Amino acid sequence: MGDDRVSDSELNALVDDELDPARQAEVEAWLADNPEAAQRVARYRAQNAGLHALYDDILNEEVPVRTAALLDVRRAGVPAWAAMAAAIALFVVGAAGGWMVRGEGVPDSGTQIASAPTSPPIDTAVLMQRASMAHVVSREDELRTPAVGGPAAMADYIADRMGKQVRVPSLESFGYDMVGGRVLPDTDGPAAQFVFADANGQKVSLYVRSEQAAGVDITYALADDLSMFYWNDSDRSYALVTRIDDDTGREALLTAAKAVYRQLSQ
Amino acid sequence: MSTESKRQAVAAELPRLRRYAIALMRNRVEADDLVHDVVVRALDKLHLWREGTNMRTWLFTIMHNLHANEMRRRSRALDSVPLDAAPPRAEPAGQEAAVEWSELSNAMTGLSILHRQVLLLVGVEGMTYAEAAGVLEVPVGTVMSRLSRAREDLRRRIDEGSQMSTIRRIK
Repeated sequence: MGDDRVSDSELNALVDDELDPARQAEVEAWLADNPEAAQRVARYRAQNAGLHALYDDILNEEVPVRTAALLDVRRAGVPAWAAMAAAIALFVVGAAGGWMVRGEGVPDSGTQIASAPTSPPIDTAVLMQRASMAHVVSREDELRTPAVGGPAAMADYIADRMGKQVRVPSLESFGYDMVGGRVLPDTDGPAAQFVFADANGQKVSLYVRSEQAAGVDITYALADDLSMFYWNDSDRSYALVTRIDDDTGREALLTAAKAVYRQLSQ
Repeated sequence: MSTESKRQAVAAELPRLRRYAIALMRNRVEADDLVHDVVVRALDKLHLWREGTNMRTWLFTIMHNLHANEMRRRSRALDSVPLDAAPPRAEPAGQEAAVEWSELSNAMTGLSILHRQVLLLVGVEGMTYAEAAGVLEVPVGTVMSRLSRAREDLRRRIDEGSQMSTIRRIK
């Protein structure tokens, strides 16, 4: 037997199950007569066990929301929800920026939206109350469906009644189809509401009201059993609303909101 | 395999990718950034992933390449700082493990990045030598020799660490 020549590599290969069965048996037999090498093998195995003890807890940690959202992993529905709010915020903020440049002829150096320093803060109480109410009582038969004339017709319909352009966001990439939209009375003129639903009937609505205010970055809020993200882009306030049923959902949504906030404020 | 199931297959590997990245980089923020970049790249290249091949090693290979690029970029940016000079702060492990494995944790921190790579891929991720060689894009023989040296280096550092703490206890 050539078993008196066991190399370092073979000791490692034994630890890593890389030896073929015949050679493994030979090496194990050799180790019985070579306590020093046997101790090294034991040390290497202990290293592996130690590394598992050191790092395996990471496997049970929550994957960061922004990364999970890329894969649209809908375990709790939260990553998709957070990514969706971020997407809409970027979408409508970008749209408003373009509208302001055209409307006022002000050369804008970037996508930043200037808000007058004298603008009052956003009236969150009114926004939340209006958006919540609209979400709760949005019955399908009261909504104008997008099927008639598509998103463009929907945008025209809303624009006519609000007196200003509102782009109609799409949430299709998040698995939400638009159920419909409508115009509602609000204190500063008409407000718009868009309602979306996923395959399970989970409903999400976006409320847009006219409000001159100091721009507000996307912020998370809870109102009773409704959760929302809201923000303001200087002349309109937005609230994305959905119902979260349990405490873990709320906690997870809060984490998600923080991630969204960080992403948008970078 | 549908795109949706491919995405799920990527999602299933996220915990392992994070474990490897955190253990390798010893900095959670940077590790999570790296994992995020890996997913972005993987989604971009998802059509190139061939069914029947190993999703895990494919993702780890992407991660290795991104990490290597980042290390090169940094070594250019900070000429005087050696490749492996990331902040040597060990992450606190699980509470109960923190005391028992602190010597191992410290010893890992002292290892070169090449040694940490093979120890983690083979010893923790359970990859075969051939898989680890594929991820690191080196010959199998290189994986074996690095692993052999890494384990001896780790053993020496643990022994030195425990001698130090014995000395501290005696004082």
